Amino acid sequence: MMTMFALILSVNLAMPAVMHEVPCQYCKLMVVQNTETQDNEVVLQFGNKRIEYRCVYCAIADSPRYSMDIIIYAPSEKVGEPVIILRKDGKWSTRSEKAVFINKFKEHAHCAELSRAFHTKEAFDAYVEKHKVEEPKALKLDELVAAILKPKDKQ
Amino acid sequence: MLAAVLVAAQFPAWMTSPRPMEVFRLRASHNDAVYSIPRLARDLNAVDVGHATAYEALVTGREGVLESQVWNQIVRTLKNPPRFKPDEKAIAPTFARLYGELELVFDWAHVLHAQTIDVLASNLSDAQKEAEIERLWHFYRSRAPYSISGLPLNMEFLDSRPYSGNFRIKYPKVNALFWGYHWLQAAMYDMLYRVPRDMWELSYDVVREQYFERELWDTNRDFMPMFAEQSPRFAARFPELANAFDNLHMLHDMVNDILADNSLDANQKRHEIRMAIWMVLDSTHANCESGEGEEKTLHDHRHMNGMAGMGMMVGSTPELMYMPRMGWMSMEECHHCSMFMPDNDMRWRRSTVSIDGWTMEVRCPLCARDMAAQYLGRAILRLPTEDPNKLLVLVGDELGNYTSTMKGVVFLEMEGEHPECNRWSYAFTSIEAFRKYVSENPQYKDARPYTLEQWSALAGKKPATYERKQGPVDNPYKNWHKGPAR
Repeated sequence: MMTMFALILSVNLAMPAVMHEVPCQYCKLMVVQNTETQDNEVVLQFGNKRIEYRCVYCAIADSPRYSMDIIIYAPSEKVGEPVIILRKDGKWSTRSEKAVFINKFKEHAHCAELSRAFHTKEAFDAYVEKHKVEEPKALKLDELVAAILKPKDKQ
Repeated sequence: MLAAVLVAAQFPAWMTSPRPMEVFRLRASHNDAVYSIPRLARDLNAVDVGHATAYEALVTGREGVLESQVWNQIVRTLKNPPRFKPDEKAIAPTFARLYGELELVFDWAHVLHAQTIDVLASNLSDAQKEAEIERLWHFYRSRAPYSISGLPLNMEFLDSRPYSGNFRIKYPKVNALFWGYHWLQAAMYDMLYRVPRDMWELSYDVVREQYFERELWDTNRDFMPMFAEQSPRFAARFPELANAFDNLHMLHDMVNDILADNSLDANQKRHEIRMAIWMVLDSTHANCESGEGEEKTLHDHRHMNGMAGMGMMVGSTPELMYMPRMGWMSMEECHHCSMFMPDNDMRWRRSTVSIDGWTMEVRCPLCARDMAAQYLGRAILRLPTEDPNKLLVLVGDELGNYTSTMKGVVFLEMEGEHPECNRWSYAFTSIEAFRKYVSENPQYKDARPYTLEQWSALAGKKPATYERKQGPVDNPYKNWHKGPAR
């Protein structure tokens, strides 16, 4: 359905607002809503579209469907301050140099809590301790993308 | 109660009369005006072929290849639609011979379908079109005894017969085609109703893409597409027509289910089909009133609050219904900010957004744009302007950029609280109209007029008023007709 478009990225530092409680575009489970103390909604932006996902894994796993440049706003340990992930000309990058990710869920019922972003390793450590995550591993963005996408999907 | 009503049914004399009683369409200058949108005209011709081909196969012992050879044959026609409207009796002669009374009902309602679309696709003014559609409805009801009721009927009741659900379970691919046709036949009304002529083809680009890429093949649809779900503006203006078309489409479903029921012999099938016809006939509900009736009976003529053109659905109350693909909905509230919609003489101030196969009424241009931004694919936004007679129609691309043929359109968007959103989010036909509005509403004196391109790129905040509706169950259609008996 998507056709080839070039996109000049315009990045907001804050999470774009999305309204309706909808199923995740990828895993089809309902997107967990933001709370006053924790952001949960992952937003993938291209052009004027803002598509909601349940977790960082879902957004990256679904990214091959988009041929244009994209921005992923990944909820972090700070409310209203997502980790911003860019895919421009097929290359992945992040605005947060120290960003790390957790990607430890076994089934999608738990993806929203166990596939998330953090601005720092310290925030990651605090999160995994609080949630008693077994064998936690802090992934860099390139490691996360490699773990989620098959080689043919990376471009 | 149900049994008593059905046993008491007296089939009208015309059903068994040997006299020819076909009625020709109303003579009118707008007849066949649908050909001003050639692709739509031809796609509708293909729908006629699709209906008739499936029916003929069902009554000539070809049901075993309905999902394969017949489906392939129909799809070839859909992709290569005929230039001229076919004679369905020539395609389905056995069906017409066996169920002549049903053919009368179908044909007459299909004439109404065709003529109302001809009116909308004609050169008449909007006011003339509305008057002409009223005339067509009167003609339809008064000229033949086999017209279908324009009252809302309870769809849960009609779809709860012993045979209900057979067809969609046994022949899901062909059922998807039927429901795809009915989706198109519902969606095309708001595509044209009060829409400027130069937007028809652009709009049909979007509708046709949706039709061919999803609607014809969707075997996971919960229920048949309802008219007011696809064309709420037309359904609100002409609720009797909306109800009649839903009742017609439900009759199609009932007939399909009866024909697919192998536990019925030929005589039983004929009887059940006559019963199904009787249930939706205008004459059966002669003394009934819209909005009244006993719950979940044949004479349940309640409708959704805020939408007289929509009967009660599976699991619904007048306040809340489950809409396939969207979840629980109130038809009185904006689907973006949950605020009450303008009604009665201000109903024209509603906007609609069509995307992903559904159409939703919303309260302001911001609500329409931001709702569409959350879904993949191309959208059509229909936005009121300061002039009740000038509807702004925007067609979006896959990136959410919009185009329109209305030159000089500008927008006010000075975001505040959503109880006031239809005041601070507004579309204007010209900069002069914008300035006049701002001068009359000094609270917006600092607002800048946005061009369409600028406005398309805006994004509002999450409305604090938004409330996701919760029904009694997650999805009332889950396992509908999938009980152990089947």
